[in-house]
Amino acid sequence: MLGPIAGILFDGFAYGMLLFLLSVGLSVTLGMMNFINLAHASFGMLGGYVAVTLMQHFGWPFLATLPAAFVIAAAVSMVLERVMFRRMYRATDLDQTLLTIGVVFMSIAGAAYFWGTVQQPVAVPDYLSGAFVVAGVNIARYRLFLIVVALVIVAVLIAGLEWTRFGAQVRAAVDNQRMARGLGLDVDRAFSLTFALGSGLAGLGGALAIAMVGLDPGFAFAYLIYVLIVVSVGGLASIGGSFVAASLLGISDMAGKYYVPQLGSFLIYLVMVGILMWRPTGLFGKR
Amino acid sequence: MASMAETLLELKSVRAGYGDAVVLDDISLQVTQGENLAVLGRNGMGKSTLFLTIMGFTRLTRGSIEWQSRDITRLASHRRARLGLGWVAQEREIFPSLTVEENLTVMQRPGPWNLKKVFDLFPRLAERSRAMGNQLSGGEQQMLAIARSLMTNPTLLLLDEPLEGLAPILVEELAAAIGRMAVEQGTTIVLIEQHADVALSLTRRALVLERGAIVHSAASEELSADAATLDRYLGLKLESAGD
Ligand SMILES: Nc1ncnc2c1ncn2[C@@H]1O[C@H](COP(=O)(O)OP(=O)(O)O)[C@@H](O)[C@H]1O
Ligand SMILES: [Mg+2]
Repeated sequence: MLGPIAGILFDGFAYGMLLFLLSVGLSVTLGMMNFINLAHASFGMLGGYVAVTLMQHFGWPFLATLPAAFVIAAAVSMVLERVMFRRMYRATDLDQTLLTIGVVFMSIAGAAYFWGTVQQPVAVPDYLSGAFVVAGVNIARYRLFLIVVALVIVAVLIAGLEWTRFGAQVRAAVDNQRMARGLGLDVDRAFSLTFALGSGLAGLGGALAIAMVGLDPGFAFAYLIYVLIVVSVGGLASIGGSFVAASLLGISDMAGKYYVPQLGSFLIYLVMVGILMWRPTGLFGKR
Repeated sequence: MASMAETLLELKSVRAGYGDAVVLDDISLQVTQGENLAVLGRNGMGKSTLFLTIMGFTRLTRGSIEWQSRDITRLASHRRARLGLGWVAQEREIFPSLTVEENLTVMQRPGPWNLKKVFDLFPRLAERSRAMGNQLSGGEQQMLAIARSLMTNPTLLLLDEPLEGLAPILVEELAAAIGRMAVEQGTTIVLIEQHADVALSLTRRALVLERGAIVHSAASEELSADAATLDRYLGLKLESAGD
């Protein structure tokens, strides 16, 4: 009995860490500027295609593609932020939704145009494939790798937000944007950097995701839903909240598929509805 | 009238408000280095809106604002702050997710004011430096709001009802601190205050706002002796005015 439960916890947690990387950026930027960026998961998809392309066409080793996925997703998001999103900060929620959903459609069409609609083949290196058994639990090497990477990033993010001046400025801008400006903080610039960092993490998440969940142009939409669930369950601008929410959702998704396959991936929505009825602002949300 | 001191801030025929609503109309005023100014008026007359307009948080539809002879009418708020405009909001607006010390240092800029100096001015903040912004009493919040602005080393400090809602003993203490900081570091102050007697004793000049317009302007000393005017615009009979 312990075997399947521990196995589900492990696999679910690994999946949750993917969801965390894909969504944490949106949680922070949404809390900071109230900017509804539905295209967030598109940056995850971009990271995935960057990794695939560098491996397939340029022969890059898998590990080297990860920072590249981060950097390119961050850079592209920064350009979009400058030329498009920045004009929309004071727009209505509906206008922001319409603009960014348009970007999602464009990203899907663009991916289909350049890479086709087929699933992308991914080969992870030998040292990351296969599994070993610890106390009856099957530990897939790749999932363990994913968990370690995500935990390191959680630690770095929390330390950065708590201990650096830039982190304090981000928290101040989330708390009270007008006062932060009134004291001399260039909120737009801080947001731009945070936005790029968050998109970069989504790109990294996308590159890490493909070996586990595959990659095709539908990624931008499929994961948009999960990202929004993580953000609403975790609460705005809370790294810890995103972490807990993503873990919870990853585990309940795996458990649902294992124990109640009839419900399939539906369980994750029930969990979301239940948590939001209990705490409408999310587990760690303040508003 | 001609003063050798530098003109810090000048508003020329400013009209401003929120969205389509005009709150301030035809406001012209000058603040000179070292010449503290009191802004008086009943509730809802546009005093806070005046500060918000100077900081660039309202919609300005006419007139201009100059800072040290430079036009800042369309300048972004954070740039105004960096030029030397300090603003302490009426609602204090402490950052709740930052500690007291982080609130002080998050936007600090170099100059005579530093952590040690503001802790000397408000010893209570030193004791509470590790508390979160949302764990403070009203008086502590007010001290922190002032100290936080001082840490940006402003040339001109806009103080919006810093004594509002404080216990009488704290009012005296804080008023004394405001007087000290003006004298010791040469920070010029524009003070909005319901305690007209305190405001007038801390300032050299005063103006009265009524329904978004300046209806009276005088030397503070003169105004504090002018019971009729105070009574007319503020509905107050000052004890000091009767002496
Ligand atoms: N954010 C706002 N939006 C619309 N009207 C406002 C806003 N803030 C203040 N007002 C209006 O502007 C007028 C002046 O308010 P305010 O400047 O706060 O006055 P005071 O500080 O003198 O009490 C009031 O009539 C108030 O209702
Ligand atoms: Mg006011």
